[in-house]
Amino acid sequence: MKHPAEVQLALFTGGDLGRWERWRVARHIARCAPCQNQIQALRDAGAELRELAAEMPELPNNLTWNRLSQEITGNIRVGLAAGEAIALFDKPAPSKPRLGWHAALVLLGATAIFAVAFWTSLPPQQADHLLASLKRIRTERIGTLIRAVPAATDEAMVEASSSGIEVKENGRTLSLMQPHSDGSTVSVSMEGSAGVRFVDADTGQVTTNKVYYADQ
Amino acid sequence: MRISSVLLASVCALLPWNGVLSAAALPKIDFPSDSPVDLLAADYSGSNETVRGGALLLDFHAALSLRNSSQRKIRGITLLVSAQDVTPGGKGSVTITSLDVGPQDTFPVRIDLRLLRPLQASANVPVQIGLDGVLFDDLSFYGPDKLSSRRTMTLAEWEARRDRRYFKSVLASGGPERLRQEMLESLTHEADRPSLDVQVVRGGRATNFEPEKQVKFAFLRMPDSPVEPVDGMARIAGNEARAPRLEVLNRSDRAIRYLEVAWILQDRAGREFLAGSVPAELNLAPGQKSRIFEDATLKFPQLRAQPMAIEGMTGFVSSVEYADGTLWIPTRGDLESPELQRVVAPSDEEQRLAQIYRKRGLKALIAELNKF
Repeated sequence: MKHPAEVQLALFTGGDLGRWERWRVARHIARCAPCQNQIQALRDAGAELRELAAEMPELPNNLTWNRLSQEITGNIRVGLAAGEAIALFDKPAPSKPRLGWHAALVLLGATAIFAVAFWTSLPPQQADHLLASLKRIRTERIGTLIRAVPAATDEAMVEASSSGIEVKENGRTLSLMQPHSDGSTVSVSMEGSAGVRFVDADTGQVTTNKVYYADQ
Repeated sequence: MRISSVLLASVCALLPWNGVLSAAALPKIDFPSDSPVDLLAADYSGSNETVRGGALLLDFHAALSLRNSSQRKIRGITLLVSAQDVTPGGKGSVTITSLDVGPQDTFPVRIDLRLLRPLQASANVPVQIGLDGVLFDDLSFYGPDKLSSRRTMTLAEWEARRDRRYFKSVLASGGPERLRQEMLESLTHEADRPSLDVQVVRGGRATNFEPEKQVKFAFLRMPDSPVEPVDGMARIAGNEARAPRLEVLNRSDRAIRYLEVAWILQDRAGREFLAGSVPAELNLAPGQKSRIFEDATLKFPQLRAQPMAIEGMTGFVSSVEYADGTLWIPTRGDLESPELQRVVAPSDEEQRLAQIYRKRGLKALIAELNKF
């Protein structure tokens, strides 16, 4: 907790603070025992001073102790104001508000929130389309060729070509080769098989070689 | 001296090493005791293993001689090929259809297999060959059918019967010259048909930079097809097509348990290719609609050294299996539509008959047709 300055406490005690400052200091004093003690001490000192002033002899030139007190208080205020004014000259000129990083962070956060909200609100097809377009832009405009996800080596895959068919898994391969024939017909099934049909040139037999995924 | 020895050893390790397969590395062939086919002989000549860096390349060339030990004619056989140490999930099969193997007759089966595995993998028997199924001429079936080979071979047999029937009718109505003309057309059709390499990757993850778009299927409707494709779309990005979704209607009066929709792709240059098929096991009551979804991606690496850019898609129902096990396949009339003629290959049987004509002449072809 930050305590008010001694000057502020003194001005508060004399009823010389502005409204806002008075409210702030009063709010603090209500919760702060040391400041309450200091205020009380200042009030006691003030009372004591007034008693001593009453006992003092008359001042010359029609001066009264009250008037003298007001003049002294006025001088103190002028001095305080002047001190504050000079202090402003001594302080380095306040730099521009440091919004750079804060603004960037705020902008970044807002962008992220917007992007997430935009992405989640997109229908899946449009989202996929957008992703594909961005990838294309990356490839064509920026020129960085990064394959999104190449067929993983542990992914089972069947492949059919006129020379044979094969199933690949974990970098291992099982192929059924096509012997000498007079033409072949390649076919694949979306359930995960590939086949090649041919008439064996040696035996004249219609042969169909196929390879399958695991769950066939 | 020591450093140079290490360097020499390293260089030797990196050099390809080629050797004949040891007996332990040969495939293990195991048929059930009640199998309708017996293994008479297995010849592995030409098989070898090659060390390439840290990998071992195993080349198997198996020429099996099998005998029909049943009392019925065999029309088709499927052998299951697996290599648990190499591809724990993957497996292969070799199917021979359009056979005409009588009781006690022998017939050959060739398996040309290549395995690539790490050098330090276990020394277990790398390849097992088993029997997945045998189809007889009365369309009865024997085997564990782990690869749905019953359906595959039955479909091929239906196509073979359809095409033999057709060519017999051509011979009967137009004579040998008309049959010759048909064979020449078939050979031309086969030669002109475009083909391309294709990959299937599980999951719907596109790796393409092209913007992905939803493309609707156009459908070729066949008048007597029991299934009508109602709606469909897939996601297309450059040379990738993924996650096809189809809606089909059973317009027959019988329940359907399996169907396949063939998938034709068009590229930006207007070329068309039969890319693959979308199969579906389902329970489709008469008049009912059903949705089909496959979470996989088709990738077309390149076409004549040019990346392919998919622009459109067409689908058609290529086969249907009813709940009672009977099948529907398109008629030859259906397949002769210009759209399909461009991309669909002649059936296995038509290719076999065309090869007989090309290599042995018209008389041999007529004799072959008359065998059935």
